[in-house]
This record gives sequence, C-alpha cells and structure tokens, in this order.
Amino acid sequence: MPVLVEEKSTQVFQKFFVFWDRVGILLAFLVVFVMFGALTPVFFHPLNILNVIRQVSIIGVIAVGMTFVILLGGIDLSVGSIVAFTGIIAAGFQVKWGGSLFLSIVVPLLIGGGIGFLNGFISTKGKLHPFIVTLGMMSIFRGATLLVAQGKPISGMSPAFRFIGAGMVGPIPFPVILFLGCVIIAGIVLKRTVFGRYIYAIGGNEEAALLSGIMVERYKISAFTLLGFLSGLSGLILTSRLNSGELVAGQGYELDVIASVVIGGTSLMGGEGGVYGTLIGALLIGVVSNGLNLLGVQPYWQMIVKGVIVIFAVLLDRLKRRFRTA
Amino acid sequence: MRKLILGLVIGVFLVCSVLGSLVLGKDLTIGLSFPSLSFAWFAFLEQAVKDKAAQLGGIEVISLEAENNVSKQISIIEDMIIKGVDGVLLVPIEVEAVIPAIEALNKANIPVVTVDRRIKEGAPVQILCHVGADNVEGGRKAARFIVEKLTEKYGEPKGVVIELTGTPGAGPAIDRSAGFNEIMKQYPNIVVKSQTANFRREDGMKVMEDFIMSTPQIDAVFGANDEMILGAIQALDASGKFDVKEVITVGFDALPEALKLIEEGVLDATIEQFPGKQAATAFEILVKYLREGVTPEKPLVYIEPKVITKDNLNEAEKSF
Amino acid sequence: MSDAPILHFEKLTKRFPGVLALDGVTFSIQKGEVHALVGENGAGKSTLIKIVTGVYQKTAGEIFFEGKPVNFSSPHEALKNGIAAIYQEFNLIPALTVAENIFMGHHFVTRRFFVDWNRMRKEAQELMRFLDVDIDVDQKVRDLGVAKKQVVEIAKALSHRARVLIMDEPTATLAQKEIERLFRIIKVLKSEGVTIVYISHRLEEIYEICDRVTVLRDGRHIATRDVRDVTMEDLIRMMVGREVVERFPRVSHTAGEEVLRVEGLTRRGVLENISFSLRKGEILGIAGMVGSGRTELLRAIYGVDPIDEGKIYIRGKEARIRSPLDAINHGIALLPEERKVHGLVLLLSVLDNLGLPILPLVSVRGFIQDGRLKAIAQDMVQHMNIKTPSLFQRVMYLSGGNQQKVVLGKWFARNCDIYLFDEPTRGIDVGAKVEIYHLMNRLLERGASIVMVSSELPEVLAMSDRILVMREGRVVGELSREEATKEAILRLALGRREEYASVG
Repeated sequence: MPVLVEEKSTQVFQKFFVFWDRVGILLAFLVVFVMFGALTPVFFHPLNILNVIRQVSIIGVIAVGMTFVILLGGIDLSVGSIVAFTGIIAAGFQVKWGGSLFLSIVVPLLIGGGIGFLNGFISTKGKLHPFIVTLGMMSIFRGATLLVAQGKPISGMSPAFRFIGAGMVGPIPFPVILFLGCVIIAGIVLKRTVFGRYIYAIGGNEEAALLSGIMVERYKISAFTLLGFLSGLSGLILTSRLNSGELVAGQGYELDVIASVVIGGTSLMGGEGGVYGTLIGALLIGVVSNGLNLLGVQPYWQMIVKGVIVIFAVLLDRLKRRFRTA
Repeated sequence: MRKLILGLVIGVFLVCSVLGSLVLGKDLTIGLSFPSLSFAWFAFLEQAVKDKAAQLGGIEVISLEAENNVSKQISIIEDMIIKGVDGVLLVPIEVEAVIPAIEALNKANIPVVTVDRRIKEGAPVQILCHVGADNVEGGRKAARFIVEKLTEKYGEPKGVVIELTGTPGAGPAIDRSAGFNEIMKQYPNIVVKSQTANFRREDGMKVMEDFIMSTPQIDAVFGANDEMILGAIQALDASGKFDVKEVITVGFDALPEALKLIEEGVLDATIEQFPGKQAATAFEILVKYLREGVTPEKPLVYIEPKVITKDNLNEAEKSF
Repeated sequence: MSDAPILHFEKLTKRFPGVLALDGVTFSIQKGEVHALVGENGAGKSTLIKIVTGVYQKTAGEIFFEGKPVNFSSPHEALKNGIAAIYQEFNLIPALTVAENIFMGHHFVTRRFFVDWNRMRKEAQELMRFLDVDIDVDQKVRDLGVAKKQVVEIAKALSHRARVLIMDEPTATLAQKEIERLFRIIKVLKSEGVTIVYISHRLEEIYEICDRVTVLRDGRHIATRDVRDVTMEDLIRMMVGREVVERFPRVSHTAGEEVLRVEGLTRRGVLENISFSLRKGEILGIAGMVGSGRTELLRAIYGVDPIDEGKIYIRGKEARIRSPLDAINHGIALLPEERKVHGLVLLLSVLDNLGLPILPLVSVRGFIQDGRLKAIAQDMVQHMNIKTPSLFQRVMYLSGGNQQKVVLGKWFARNCDIYLFDEPTRGIDVGAKVEIYHLMNRLLERGASIVMVSSELPEVLAMSDRILVMREGRVVGELSREEATKEAILRLALGRREEYASVG
C-alpha cells in the first residue's frame, strides 16, 4: 500500500517536530540559562531565580490567558490597558472609596472579565477581527484609566492588599504561586476538559468545529473573558506590588505577552501549542532581561535580543508548517 | 461647501470671542497648548498659569486639549491663529514636529513662549523666550548631595552608586544623567552603575532587584524621577539585604508621594524644579511683552532646581 | 499527432526523506495528444507533475522536453519554456480583472511604465474568442464561478504560449455542463497542437477525452496504453494492483418508516419551497449542477445557515434546528463537501477528531474521561477500518479515504441516524471509494438513513433509492431508482432540452 510508505516518511518528520514541540523551547531556555549562569554566578542564586519568576509572573498570568485566545486563532491587544484600568480601580477601592479589601479584589477581577467578555462578544457577534476590537478597547481603557485616576497615580495600599503582590508563602513570593497555579490549572483544562479540547478544535478548523456541533461563539467569548479576568488578576498583582495604581501600568504588555506565547511554540494561526510552552516563553524573556541587567548590558540590547527571539520563534513555526505539507 | 461652513463657524467664533473679551473687559487673549491635560503634571501647569492670569487681571486664557498627539497640537495652534489670540504659551509635544506651527505663529506676528520642553535648537523660527528647568543642573545637584552624604559616611567620597536613568532618548533623561555623571566623574572612588528604568515605577523596581542580586554593596541610588526611586525603594525594602534608611536615595520631581517618604526618613532627597513657577514666569514674560513691549533679557530663563530634604520640605511646591 | 515525443521521462526518480515517491519512471508523451495520468492517491502523479513544472527537483533520471534535457528550477521557468499547469487551487488574484490575470507577470506596457490596457484587453478578448467562451475580460476574477476561473487559467497558460498544459483534476468541481465546455476547449487546444496532460479520478472522462493513458502505482510506472486498447476494469486493476469486484456495491434494503420530512423550506435567494421526505434505510440522492442549492439545502437542514420559512420534522415531530448542535441532538450528521476545510481539524489527532461531537458525552463535569474516549475511538478505528499507526496520529498524515472515514466515524460514535453526505467520494481514489460505499451500506444496515449530494452521476445512479434533482434552489423532479438515467437527470438539472441535446 502506498499509504503505508507515506505514513512512514511523515512519521520521521513528525517525530522530529513532536520532539521539537516538546523540548525544543525548553532546550533553548536551558542553553540561555546555563550561559548566563556561567557569565555571572549570582544568576543561579535562589533569590535571583525567585526574582525572575516573580518579575515574570505579572506578564505570565496574562500570557496564560493569551494562550487560550491565540490557540483559538484570536489575539488581544487590550490586555495592557485592562491591567492599568483594573489596577487603578483596585487602588481606588483601597485608597479612595472606603478601603474594602473584598471590593478592591473582586471588583477589578469582575471588570477585567467583563472587558474580556466585551472583546469576545463584539468580535464574534459583530464578525469583526479581534485585532480591531481589542485595539479599540486598548485605547478606550487607557483613556478610562486616566479618567478615573484624574491623571494622578493612586498610592498607599493596605498591608493585606499588599500581600497579593509582595507577600511571601514560606520562601516563595505569592505572585509566583498565583502564576504557577494558573499555569497548572490551564494545563489541566487544555488537556483534560471538553473546553480545552474544543479550544484546539476551533483554532485548528473553526468550520469543522462548528459542523461538529461545537458552540464556537460561546467558547470564543469564554476564552476572551478568561483572558480579561487574568489581565485583571495581573492588574491586582502589579498594583499591590507597586503599592500604587499607575497610569502607565501595563503599557506595552501586549507585546511581551504575545511574545511569550509565540516563543512558547503556540502558533499565531491557532490550533497548536500549549500553556507549558508559554511558561517557558515567559521565563525565557524574563531570564534574558534579568541576565543582561546583571551583566550590566546597555538596555537597548534587551529590546534587540527580544525582537530577534520573537522573529526566530515565528520563523520556526513557519518552517514546521512548511515541512509538514511537503 | 465644507470650506464655507468652516469659514462661517470660524467667523462666528471670532466675533464671539472678541465680543466676549470686550464684554468682560479683557484686553488680552492668550492660548495655552499643552500636550495633554489628562496628565496631572500639565493640569498643574495650567492651574499655575490661570492663577497668575487672575493675579494679573484682564486676560482671557484659552486652553485646548491635544491628547498628546503632535498633529492635533499643530491644528490647535492653527485654530488659535484664526481665533486671533495675542500670544501663545506652548509646551511642545515633540521638539521638531511643532516647528511648522511656530512658523505660522511667526507669520501671524503672534509671540510664542515655550515652557518645560524646548523646541529643537537652531530651528529657523522666532521664540520670544523659553522658560525651563535646568535638568543638567538638577542632575549635578543630586550628584553633589550624594557625594556629600558619602563623605559623611566614609570620611571620604567613595562607594557604589546606582543610577536609574529615564527613557532612552528622552531629553530630561539625557540631561539629568549628563549632569549627574559630570560630577560623579570627578570622584574616582565612587563607582556608578547605570541602567534604564524608563521613568516607570515598575521598571525601577525590577532593575533594582537585579542590581541587588549582582551588586553586593550599594551605598546610594539616584532615580532620574521619583517614580523610579519609589520602585527602587520597594525593591530595597523587600530584599532583606539592605536597610532602606541606610541607603542614600535621591529622586527627582518632588512628587507628593516622594515628599511623604522624605518626611518619614525613607527617601533622603528629591530635586524640585518648581514647574508652577516655571509656567507662571513664562506667562508673565509673555504678558509683559504684549502689554508693555518688554523683551526678556535672555532668550533662556532657567528656574534654579533645588534639593529638597527633610530640612526644607516646606519649600517644595507640592506640585500634584 | 506526430511521433516525436514532446515530453520523455527516463528513469525519473524522486526521493523524499524516507519515501521513494518516484521510482525510475520511464514513458513518453506525444506532441498534440491528450494524455491521461491515473493512479491512486500517493501513486506519484503530483510528484511527477511538480518535478516537470519545477516545483520539486528530481533526485535522478532525466526529463526531455522537445528532445532536449531540461531541469526547471521554478514553475516560472517552466512556464517561460512552454509548460503550464493548472491545479485545483487556482493561482489567480481575485481582486484583479480577467485580462490582468491572464497577462499577470508579462503586462504589456507603453512608455516603459504604463500598463497598456487597450492591448491587454484586446488580446484577452481574442483568447476568449479562440476558446469560444463568453467571459467579460473586465470582470474581477472574484466574481467568476469555478468553471470560468478555470477558463481564465487556461487562457493565462495560452498567453504564455504554453505547448504542454497539465490539468490536475480539472473536472472535480465542475458541473456536467461545464465539463462539456471544458472538453470542447480541450479539443480546440488539441487541434492547435497543444499537448494536454490530464489527471483525473473519473475514469469515464478518460475514455471521453483522452488518447492515451499512463498508470502509476507506488511511484512506479505500470503501463502506458492507447485508451481504446484498455478496459475500465483493466485500468482499475492496474491502479489498485488487485481485483476490484464491484465499483458500486449497493445492498438494497426495504425502506422503513419516515424519519425526516422537510416542508416548504425556504432561504431567500438560495432555496425555495423545498419539500421531501426520507425513510429509514434508504439513500436519497440529490443531483443538480454546482450552484443549484444542493449544498445549501444540507447546510440549512443542519442548522448552519438560518432558514426563512419551512418546517423540519424528525420522526414525525417538528424539530427546531438553529445550530449544528440542535441537529446533532436530533441525530442528524453532516459530512461536508470539502472534508479538509469543513470536516476535519487536520492538526489534531485521530482521537481528537473522532471525539469532537462526543466529548460532552464522555466527560464528567467538563473533565474528559480518557479511558472511555479512547475505548470508543479504538472501536471506531477498527469498525471503520481506518488505517492509522495510532490514535495519536494527526489526521493530516492520513490518506484521503482514511480521512473521510474519520469524518464518518465521529458520527458513528455519536449514534447519529440521519446522515447528510455532501460529495462523499470527491478526491478519493477508486479503492477507497468502494470502502466508503461499503460503510454507507453498513450505516443503512444499522437502521440509518442517508441523504447524498453528488456530482458524479454514476455514483448517484448506482447508490440512490430515489433521486431528487435540484435547479436554481428548487426541487425540479424526483426520480425513482427505476426511472433514473443519466439523461433524465441532466434534462431536469439543465431545464432546457436544447442544451441537453448539445451535451449529448
């Protein structure tokens, strides 16, 4: 049978890419990790490692949500603005509007989820590309942040609220626990639940998913809502950590977040990838920035290196696809 | 057709504003064009100008929102020319892009005073005067303060100093760092380590965390704005490795939050540039020129920056 | 037809990592003939074509074009030298006009910069006249139907003075009338001395239009014969490499009670007042031209596109179907037209694809019970005879026939009993087709019913119990198995006698 011959050959390719998908990014990460460690021994210091993960967790929490949206073939540019807006709301409840811990946590999360819901709702029901919708939202909520804050950062959080971003559980910073928790839960959801499998199906072939009886729009809206919610969580962590609701908070986050997801091997075309890759992708960006800082390298290089990594990651994805169809 | 309507609208506007000034007995109309009033900083400048206008009397101040958008600022200035303002007080969003608008003002014989930010040097346009802060001098003062404190601590000027610089390429970031390093260079026993934190608190914290890891000894930290030093202080505080009160910390801008930390003894100093005074002075120069024909002696007026410490807290403007 | 071969392949070999796609293939194509190239999927047809046109580079062997050895490095170079290929996916720019597309890459220019529109339009019109088709050359290509786009592709090849024209499954998406037009064009080209290499799964066509036929199997050359000297059974045996007992193995069942009734179904501008019923254990064929509303009818019943009027009854009870999920819950399954576009998630595994419609059924509080899912999927793979190395193989690596079985299998698993098939065997090779027919029979045995849309008249005729014929969004006739003939269907589908006569 000719079919069998074909299958054998593709298996070789496939095995390579399965291998690459699973460990390629991890390998790249380890190389960078060891390299920096060799250059500055302090890099391996447990405190530094915790620092990096903590620094990464603010972006990382959003990147977990973004993984869902990109897997669906979508994109969200408004995450940075959601971080700023939810952050300023949290700060508002802490400092100006009565100081309730409960409200300053719950309201921003709900608002984040709400904005995400709107992103999903408008783009699916209005049949608009999420790029456009979230670009609009990015501007709207940056403006709304300035409006609520009246142009001034709001600072001075209560110690209880400060725990979210600055607290420690034993030796481990609380944001790290939140971040890793999100990664693990998202990993389980993507692998083991109907929701997760349908995300892959929709991203892989929306039409086929629809014809298989999947309520495509509902899943899309859910994914955007989840991302909004996690952006809100990130806003809480940031505000708590900075002890201040900042106007410029989250500016440019969308790039780092999308970069983390893409470097982690999730395809911008949708349908392929996963959250563990995103974890490594986010760590890679964080490690590069931290390592260059420790080495005292000019900051300009950080931007250049980050750009190169992102292009390289996307190139790899493209190559993977080309090899597969050949 | 559209031009006709536009003309009509402008005409009505003109008549109204002239009538308005007459009715209210105002003899001068001055346009303010700031990058964006949604930032507290510029809102504060505007307030300072309005206070000054009330004090001088008889002046109508028109202030339009440019949303931090260069082309919007240009069209706002063009509108002001059509409206027939007597003078313009300008904070350019960008050093170069605003030049065509200034050319138009020159052509219409409307004097311009810039404040806070300067337009590009050597541009072929006429500016009555620029009033600003001397960021280089501010940097120098911060450096001298740190040198003095280090000398107190060690008996001689030595130690490790971290410098958090502003957004790469931004004018104030360049000037403040230049002044700071000009002084520091004179002390070979002081090691300065620089890294940018983009004028942001978040980055100040992050970069400081990395410095804490890579640098065993930190005697002083200079943040080229208060946001960054506030972030750095949090990183120091959380590190457990350093006592914030022991490390000499100096910020820039004299934000209320920074002043509060000075009062608490956490932050050692911040540099006050008196933005309100800058704006008011600029406005006064413009009015004086329009009413009395007095041309300022120098085309550049610098308001002397000042180091604010626990001892002279009351001298700060408490800008916003 | 002269005796000089225009193309000659000598021990042509192509090796991909791990596969020998072409294994020392030697044969010739004569100048001015229509030469059919047949073989099952994976036999090496496309590889051969792609080497001739410079998409791939050969591993060994020689290609002689007009007597000279050639080795094109790109399709562009092949085109410049007079070899053009038309694939199923057209290579046209939708936003540009017909004339621009025809002369894409060699625009006429005046004064070095400006497009010479007049000349371009005139030459394009001349080409259309030559091909004897009525296409406005100023029309945007995106406004053309499939058949006309194909004509534009042919014109484009001619504008490059192509002497060899390779056509890959040119009739796969054409309606009968359009096929006739294509054949007329092929005859015109042949009379002008253009050599045609014709690839098709529809063996009937080969007897209609081709002079000689070459069979490839497993990358090897099996035979090159005069079409007159070889029977269809021989061809199939050579392609498959074994005896195929029956091309259309239809087992008849006695139809039971009514399971689906559609009354007055209307979707404005697309479907008008359609009524029919389907009984348990029968296959209802739907014939008609492409664009007659067949696919749209299936989509409307399945809840993909909204309907304006009409009612659908399932087992006697009115059903409100607003989404595919509603349809599935009523036991309806759709096997869409282009399985790669509409039916499968190519990136996902066999397991994931089979699981698509049943995940909620094998999960508890949203968590999938892996064991149950795998058991069901394993069952399906065996039941459907899906050839896959494992459940975790991505379906993109399966052959067309096995992909179609996966599409079918996912509905088996869901226990659907009303199956809407849209072109179930398009692009599938002979052996796999038979397997699909067997599966359809097995569905019927299990008490299911089938609505089958197909453009292949032999298939419709052989497999259906009853046949609905559609034209312009309406049902224009219903034929019983006994009444149905190719002529009767065409007469209804075309609607005008004289056109039917010309199809003849």
